[in-house]
Amino acid sequence: MAEPELKEKVQELISGNPVLLFMKGTPEMPRCGFSMRIVQVLDSLDVEYGAVDVLPALQPLREVTSEISDWQTFPQLYANGELLGGCDIVEEMHASGELAEALGVEAPAETGDAVPSSAQDLPAQSPPLQIQRD
Amino acid sequence: MAADLEEIRRMIEEALPGAEVEVVDQTGTADHLGAEVVAPQFEGLSRIDQHRLVKAAVRSRFDDGSIHALSLKTRPAT
Repeated sequence: MAEPELKEKVQELISGNPVLLFMKGTPEMPRCGFSMRIVQVLDSLDVEYGAVDVLPALQPLREVTSEISDWQTFPQLYANGELLGGCDIVEEMHASGELAEALGVEAPAETGDAVPSSAQDLPAQSPPLQIQRD
Repeated sequence: MAADLEEIRRMIEEALPGAEVEVVDQTGTADHLGAEVVAPQFEGLSRIDQHRLVKAAVRSRFDDGSIHALSLKTRPAT
């Protein structure tokens, strides 16, 4: 049974962030291959997202997301309050163009001719969100 | 304790009768697996719901630790 306070905190984060990623590690230092791949996909779309490192509370967070979304593995990407999926699904959606649409961003330009603007050199992310537990 | 690929395949096939299932060991340690599942039951389901069905079929192997990761490629049978 998930901790009620933690569950409430997670629900707040999901509804308070248009794009929210639960991952192992941080976007600057992912701690698993799947988390790293999802971060790469999001960065390539230049989308702003909140990131939560699940490692400090892994099992409790598994229980929370299991109750909220019937999903126990990480990473998990939420958009507009809804779970899109883990790394497999996000990469498939990215390849088909569905991801850009789901996140409300423009699909990236074809490779080769794109002229990177200086703004794209720096990922525009808020700092990683911390989950406080007493 | 690592997962038995054959057993995983059978668990998915039992949960999804009529499905075509392929299970591979991605790292040689039998705990990071990949599965491709084509099943009639996936018709009309979102990707995430398709994945939920497969993961439910092998839930006991996640719970007992024999699988650490299961990469999934799913699609409805045509």
